[in-house]
Amino acid sequence: MALSDSFTVFHSLLRSQLSPTEYDWLRSKGNASPLELMTAFVAVPRFVARQPVQASAEHSQALAESIEGFSIEGWSTVRLSRVWLLSRLDSSDRETYVRHIETLFDTAEMNELVALYSALPLLGYPEHWLFRATEAVRSNVGDVFDALVMHNPYPARYFTEAPWNQLVLKTIFNDKPLHKIVGLEARANPALAGMLSDFAHERWAAGRSVAPEVWRLSPNFFNATLLEDMKHLFSSRDLSDQRAAALACFQAGSAPAQALLAQYPELEKEVQQKKISWADLEFNDLNTYATKS
Amino acid sequence: MQQNPKNHEPNPSHFEESQGTPDQESPTHRNLTWDEYRDTIKGMRFFDPHIHMTSRTTDDYQAMFDAGIVALIEPAFWLGQPRTGLASFKDYYSSLVNWERFRSSQFGIKHYCTIGLNSREANNEPLAEEVMEILPLFLYKEGVVGVGEIGFDDQTAAEEKYYRAQLELARQARLPVQVHTPHRDKKHGTERSMSIALEHGLDPAWVIIDHNNEETVRSVLDQGFYAGFTIYPFTKMGNERMVKVVEQYGAERIMINSAADWGISDPLALPKTAALMKMRGIPDDVIRKVTYQNAIDAFAQSGQIDEADFAHGLEIDQSQKMNGNTILRGGQQPRIAKESLFIN
Repeated sequence: MALSDSFTVFHSLLRSQLSPTEYDWLRSKGNASPLELMTAFVAVPRFVARQPVQASAEHSQALAESIEGFSIEGWSTVRLSRVWLLSRLDSSDRETYVRHIETLFDTAEMNELVALYSALPLLGYPEHWLFRATEAVRSNVGDVFDALVMHNPYPARYFTEAPWNQLVLKTIFNDKPLHKIVGLEARANPALAGMLSDFAHERWAAGRSVAPEVWRLSPNFFNATLLEDMKHLFSSRDLSDQRAAALACFQAGSAPAQALLAQYPELEKEVQQKKISWADLEFNDLNTYATKS
Repeated sequence: MQQNPKNHEPNPSHFEESQGTPDQESPTHRNLTWDEYRDTIKGMRFFDPHIHMTSRTTDDYQAMFDAGIVALIEPAFWLGQPRTGLASFKDYYSSLVNWERFRSSQFGIKHYCTIGLNSREANNEPLAEEVMEILPLFLYKEGVVGVGEIGFDDQTAAEEKYYRAQLELARQARLPVQVHTPHRDKKHGTERSMSIALEHGLDPAWVIIDHNNEETVRSVLDQGFYAGFTIYPFTKMGNERMVKVVEQYGAERIMINSAADWGISDPLALPKTAALMKMRGIPDDVIRKVTYQNAIDAFAQSGQIDEADFAHGLEIDQSQKMNGNTILRGGQQPRIAKESLFIN
């Protein structure tokens, strides 16, 4: 991973987004002693006006290339400045470095936590932050959860299967957009597919629905239970459920899945001709808790 | 349950000792029902500069939102019993800038806080020393609008030491100060709090002297400080007395708060007092100053309050919503039909 490249991109990006006074302040703090730098991390909003970051296509692309899956979509100048300061913290002595970052986590308010979790892919000793990362999955503060889970390459790269599956389940449980998870399909696994099926059964028992795109995690692990779930989806009154079943059956490709799909020729045609894809089922404002009448 | 009011021990909460039991002083709440009078303040907005929301329920948040409270300040305080270690202070301060702030936002109310070592716990000097070390980490945070609530309780030497030390922190961080005045020997304690603040070179316009009554207010205003009044049943100001104070002293540098906490207290103290003032013929602009604007003017000197954030209702950010456990869905506050047997 060419970290030095991302630092160059950050520099150029900051220069384009901050006023000269803000940029000079930030740069001087980026070269300061650790304690001064940490205080500056907290004090950023007093010196940098909070604006949405408007990154050029070149900047966005360069960032995504230097750290795979990294995105600053929806970031503010304050978050960007804080993440950059963190990347400037001297990491040569592991114990000191870890203690400093832990102190920032322990005393952080919401926006600081967002910056800290956004910065995980840039921090030294990445495996050390695993526990902290799972704490974000446990958080009930939406922005904190999102900072780790959405557009952040850290979990897909470092989480083992059990915490990864919790991350995906909690995203679904909270009606968050699944498709913003980096590495979602690459990390699909049979245990998760089974849990999603159980989850759907509970929801259906309560008269509630399940986000249709969750079934994109199932095609490689089809069994009798999942096949029954597909039948349930095909019989739903919601077209998105039917399309999810068609896409999943088509990708599964097994004989029983194909036979089931063949019972719905119109849907079959849609998937065969690639008229629909999972992208059509990516909703950002879900409310699956409403009881179906 | 104690039925005889003569033997009633006032709840030892924010105001540990009453200055008279309910049967000794004139009643603070007559039988005017709130539901009948809430229409008189329709459209008004309120800013409660002193309320301890960590002790309050979601029902309170909803009632406050419904009554027009758009923003509040939660001062750091003690928890009803002394803390035994630094970590519980740290977690408490952290919760004020983190979880409680988030929780409040989900009910449409902007949450600010003041951070400080309260007077009671200043008496545990070894712990107080440790707390002083971590205070700067929190004072510079977004939405921290002052150092508070600090000041005197027993008026011990240790209390004075940490009061002075925190006044210095406030000066360095350029933050207003929210001063708790003692319940016992109040008049003397209030004067002492003010003269020490002046001795440290603080501008009185940056210092809010809280929990005033008819006996302390004149000196506070004459010396140029802000005067906070706490409407708190039984042990402190009743709102009828408050109306008289406003009639006598006008609106300048006076602000009303509820100081609602884990004792018997009322998170709707501001809207109720506003309704009473309205009924008694106090002009709207005066009501607005003492229940909204003056508090904003005083604490916005921190640079941490932008009235535009809440003046027309807090915009509830859909991306922040967290279903399953909490709180908001589809931009609406979910309401439980409390009279219904069914829970869905």
